[in-house]
Amino acid sequence: MTWLVWRQYRGQAAIASVLLAAAAAVILADGFQIASRWHSILVACAGNTACLQQQAPLVNGVVSDLPYISLLVPAVVGMLWGAPLVAHELEARTSDFAWSQSITRMRWLTVKVGWLLLAAAACGGAIAALTTWWSGPINAMSASAFAPGQFDTQGIVPIGYAVFAMALGITAGTVARRTLPAIAVVLGGFIGLRLVISDFLRQHYMAAVTTYYSVGGSFTAPGQSWVLAQGAVGPAGVVVATGWGDLYPALPASCQTLLPTAGTGKSGSLSAVFSCMRAHGWRGFATYQPSSRYWPFQGIETGIYVLLAAALIGVTFVIVRGRDA
Amino acid sequence: MSTAIETHELSKRYRRVSALTECTVTVPEGRVSALVGPNGAGKTTLLRILAGLASPTGGTAAVLGGAPRQDPAFLAEIGFLAQEIPLYRRFTAEDHIRIGAHMNPRWDASLVRTRLAELRIPLGQRVGTLSGGQRAQVALALTLAKRPRVLLLDEPVAALDPLARRKFLATLTAGVADAGGELTVVLSSHLVTDLERVCDHIILLAGSRVQLSGDIDTLLAEHKVLVGPRKDTAPIERTHKVVQEVATARQSTLLVRLGGPVIDPAYQAEDVTLEELVLAYMGADEASAGKRLTTVGESS
Repeated sequence: MTWLVWRQYRGQAAIASVLLAAAAAVILADGFQIASRWHSILVACAGNTACLQQQAPLVNGVVSDLPYISLLVPAVVGMLWGAPLVAHELEARTSDFAWSQSITRMRWLTVKVGWLLLAAAACGGAIAALTTWWSGPINAMSASAFAPGQFDTQGIVPIGYAVFAMALGITAGTVARRTLPAIAVVLGGFIGLRLVISDFLRQHYMAAVTTYYSVGGSFTAPGQSWVLAQGAVGPAGVVVATGWGDLYPALPASCQTLLPTAGTGKSGSLSAVFSCMRAHGWRGFATYQPSSRYWPFQGIETGIYVLLAAALIGVTFVIVRGRDA
Repeated sequence: MSTAIETHELSKRYRRVSALTECTVTVPEGRVSALVGPNGAGKTTLLRILAGLASPTGGTAAVLGGAPRQDPAFLAEIGFLAQEIPLYRRFTAEDHIRIGAHMNPRWDASLVRTRLAELRIPLGQRVGTLSGGQRAQVALALTLAKRPRVLLLDEPVAALDPLARRKFLATLTAGVADAGGELTVVLSSHLVTDLERVCDHIILLAGSRVQLSGDIDTLLAEHKVLVGPRKDTAPIERTHKVVQEVATARQSTLLVRLGGPVIDPAYQAEDVTLEELVLAYMGADEASAGKRLTTVGESS
């Protein structure tokens, strides 16, 4: 049975290997350049934090989107390998050949699904290893490995994505019995679930930490933390703020008048506003996921996708076992 | 002689459509049975149930003493070739031989190689590029290489030209001879003429029901065509079963299943051919709706 899987996929495995090798070549070439730039910045700044913060970003333009290949690979794997796995056999009626040999349908499915899930995990793992390495200097410079977009393309989560996308393709193909609709389901389902999880669910894996600090003082989240919200807390309640525009309406009138107003020539000093706010009982706050939770979050997210994949594969087995061939 | 296939009131419904209704048949071991019937009669459904690829919604089926099931030991005994000649089009015959070797306990690779060499079918060419007849030959040889004890073939010659049909049936006959009476075959077709040379048993399905089944020689001996004046058939029906009646203004031709000797001297009894028998019973499906009598020419 394994030989049949090998015979069926050896061509595609070769193509996938070539594509992965090409991607690796690009990522490595670019990654070494970034690493050397980062190294010279480190030497130039010699441990001066302010100097580091003044540096231009290490990457910009289209190159900064390079890590998203870790999301592309799982989607492609699910669409091109997962969707046809059962569906194309049914379409071409080759299932009648396979299922007329002396092996049960369950064994056929187990071996095929097993190897392909393994292949998906390998592809996801390989591409994630490359993008994680490539992102190293950027993580270090901007302390942002935990931020959405970077968290998703590094570490072990791409393995979970790939396994899930593969399982989704297999199940959709089994239900629809046709490859094309299954491909559409993978595309829509994978993008949709990723949006829901990364935008709404992920921040709740563990209760976020909130830190308060004196207004006017600066707050820097320790290490590569993921800051979910920042702002000020007054007697009237919490104001999540990204700038004065958000904060201004909530301030007491006496403090508002102290603010410098652009265009009117009215001058003022921010430190006066800060002391006014402090006098009225305002505090600064930041809600964040500490950097120590990076790997637990990676584990939780990978676990969610792998569990969903397992549930989908379970559905596939039930359908293939129960349905007439 | 033991029984290879036995079904009892086997039924299969797909939502509101009955594909097979209370089908009860027996095929003794070693027979080559023609499964005949018009398109949509339930032939494919019956074969797929016997092969363990579909499950019945009613009744029972036994193949080699047990219900068709997902069990390697059972599947090893069954050779099934579906109507669409399913092969991996991008694989060569040689690839298929190797797949078979990995997936079957008693695989006779030399049988396939020998047979395909005789037919001059290249082993190293993608099967998708072979002709329909060659592809069918490859598929049949692969099915025989499994060394099954029950071979189920679903309209394998339907898409083939007459020469390819003959070659295919020759391969089948050779396979049956090799097995020395231990191989039971059920071969479906909507054309009885394809099967007459190779089969010694028949199952006739029409309208999802079994209309006739048994050994062909026995059935031919049991039926006669009676030609005589057109008159009331009630006396005949007291002893015999009239399967079909074709009448002109004066003359009447009855196909009857004999219940005893024909004593009415007005009728002349003639032997029946398999094709006549099959056509009569296929018509009998409609006769159950009250159309047994076919009138030819002017009726008075």
